[in-house]
Amino acid sequence: MIESRESLGITFEKATKVYPGTSAPALDGLDMTIEAGELVCLVGPSGGGKTTALMLINRLIDLSSGDIRIGGTSINDLGPIELRRKIGYAIQQTGLFPHMTVGENIGVVPRILGWDRARIRERAHELLELVGLSPADRWVRRYPGQLSGGQQQRVGIARALAADPPVMLMDEPFGALDPITRTTVQDEFLAIHRAVGKTTVFVTHDIDEAIKMGDKIAVLKPGGLLAQFGTPAELLTAPADDFVESFLGDERGLKRLALFTLADVASSEAPGTTPPWPRLPESTTVRAALSAAMAERAGGVLATRGDDVVGLAPLDALVHPDLPEAVA
Amino acid sequence: MSGFAPAGDPVIPDYGDVSQCVANNDLFCADWFAAQWPEVFQPALLEHILMTVLAIAIGFVISFLAAVLAYRKRWLTAPIGVTATILYTLPPLALFQLLVPLTGLTLLTVEIALVCFTLVILFRAVLSGLTGVPEDVKRSARGMGMDQGQILRRIELPLAIPSIISGLRIATVLTVSIATIAAFVVDSGLGSPILKAISSPFNTQFIGAGALAVLLAFALDALLTLLGKALTPWTKARS
Amino acid sequence: MDAFLKAGPFMAENFSLLLEKTGEQLLLSLVAVLISLVIGVPFGLWLGHVHRGEFLAVSLTNIGRALPSLALIAIFIGLVGIGYANVLLALIILAVPPILSYTYIAIDSVDRDLTRAARGMGLTPLEVLWRIEVPLGLPMAFSGVRTAAVLVVSSATLAAVAGGGGLGDVILNQVAYGIEGVVAAALWVAALSILVDQAIALLFRLVASPGVKRVAAQSTSAPAV
Repeated sequence: MIESRESLGITFEKATKVYPGTSAPALDGLDMTIEAGELVCLVGPSGGGKTTALMLINRLIDLSSGDIRIGGTSINDLGPIELRRKIGYAIQQTGLFPHMTVGENIGVVPRILGWDRARIRERAHELLELVGLSPADRWVRRYPGQLSGGQQQRVGIARALAADPPVMLMDEPFGALDPITRTTVQDEFLAIHRAVGKTTVFVTHDIDEAIKMGDKIAVLKPGGLLAQFGTPAELLTAPADDFVESFLGDERGLKRLALFTLADVASSEAPGTTPPWPRLPESTTVRAALSAAMAERAGGVLATRGDDVVGLAPLDALVHPDLPEAVA
Repeated sequence: MSGFAPAGDPVIPDYGDVSQCVANNDLFCADWFAAQWPEVFQPALLEHILMTVLAIAIGFVISFLAAVLAYRKRWLTAPIGVTATILYTLPPLALFQLLVPLTGLTLLTVEIALVCFTLVILFRAVLSGLTGVPEDVKRSARGMGMDQGQILRRIELPLAIPSIISGLRIATVLTVSIATIAAFVVDSGLGSPILKAISSPFNTQFIGAGALAVLLAFALDALLTLLGKALTPWTKARS
Repeated sequence: MDAFLKAGPFMAENFSLLLEKTGEQLLLSLVAVLISLVIGVPFGLWLGHVHRGEFLAVSLTNIGRALPSLALIAIFIGLVGIGYANVLLALIILAVPPILSYTYIAIDSVDRDLTRAARGMGLTPLEVLWRIEVPLGLPMAFSGVRTAAVLVVSSATLAAVAGGGGLGDVILNQVAYGIEGVVAAALWVAALSILVDQAIALLFRLVASPGVKRVAAQSTSAPAV
């Protein structure tokens, strides 16, 4: 049974969905194992079955054949209602209930599960602080209509985490946000994910978001077939087929640079004289650092920690991040 | 039921001392109106309110149940909608008169007819309130493990309130208006002084009763608007 | 129930009377609607085109709904006396609000992006109104006419009260025609309302551009007061 507060893995076994009235499957024999605590992104074009795969997990739709196991238990061994209460769920338009305050929204599942008021209140406050809506007192009594898109999305995540579910499902949760807010919320969610370590299945159509967020990425192609399942690095270095390669795009090589940060490539030798290069925090991705260097027509960038320069990253190191010795 | 012979010259009702205004049959004689208030207008107004509120309450219960049913079983929407629309298209006077042979010159006749006129508006209001709940909200609710009853009670019905209130407002205003015609069936409501004044045209009685009906409609409308605001605190909370 | 059974024979025996009264009622209604169109449509078009007068349109709709037709006819007995003019005036006052406000909403709610595009393509304001706003607003404007027409036909039944003729003469005269006459005329006038409603819906289907017809499928029928 899914009683554990620990993260649980999810296993797809030949999971297939054929919608009534259609002949072609929306998801075709998906075999995939998601380890406990992993963040897996499902990407693919529309019609690839990624949202279908997600909705199968919490039985918003039912499998045509095959099975899905959460922590070893088949989802069919639980009633759909019971199952859903144990799975966190966040979607694109947030699906926040407009007639409930932020606090009430977060408290929906705990209330159904019969938590007492004090515990629900405490949990709501804790989660609001966690998602960066602090101090919580300022936010609990507001209505969703009074929040910006990014704030609503944070509440959506808090709500999904409310009952401390062993599994989180997220369906294009950041799809409706503007690019700047989106980046911020992505970073925040990654931090939350590292802190709470929930097994998370994250649907997105944006390959860059998948590369940034996913421990692993599953690429689905039209017809609901799994094209490739692997780490972002594996996908970018060795796409399984033409579809994956084209889905990764022309800039596959550049995108790979986003997997590294300055901390990975900068030489740690204290420079004698500091060249007049752009200064960037060492957490900056190599891709962004390369772009900054090129924009400034500089020979490289300087990695900083706080106000101190801690390393040099010349263009060669930025371009070939996996061969740092070559330029040292 | 008597015929309405065209009236001749205005006959001033003999209600005791007659002021200049009443003698001239001016448009509105406040003194006469005030004098008649306790015996004529106040009871008529109270009866009118009773007729209206009763019809709206019954109509709402029926429409509400029908709409929830149609929401669950979509194929029912068309037959219920068409039936209610036909009832709504009937001229009130005709419907009243058609009911008289069945239920007599009674308040029951009046209420049946008035309820019939509220159905289409209230049915559509409740149904469109329910169907208007955003898909993502419903999907979230299901995804969070709410069952059908919980989704209806906690999500769909509260979110349908604005639409339901606006339906109630239209239906109420309309019912106040149609209820004047009930006077052809029962000696009750604000239509009654109007009908009585037709055979001896006396302006203050027409205008007094007519204005009371209009004011009543606006007052009930305002009351429902306030109720709606009180029930939906989230709609005014916008940053 | 007896009255209903006798209503059939009554209709057969008094067919010409019913036809004559129907003619009176339809003519009265037609004149009232035409005059209301002449008053309501231009105002609605203009207010909608300049996107002003929301308050006016909304208040008119509310007042129109709240005005009891019986009270209106009664008040005009005081003001204009008994007769055709009285009833006509009352019917016009009932019909103008829905026509004006629906026309206004129809034009006002045409997607602003479309009118901006049209202006951007160099259409004059009049061309924008005629080529874009009117065709697109037609379904909504038509449902205003439909509402008004049914309202007028329905209220014209009360015209008898003020000597305006029509089927009300029969419905309200049980002394002369008996209960079966009242029932027969009531059935007749009920059918008439439904027919008028459907006839206007049909008329709309004939004149509307195929692109906007779908929108009208859901447009509401009439409040009958």
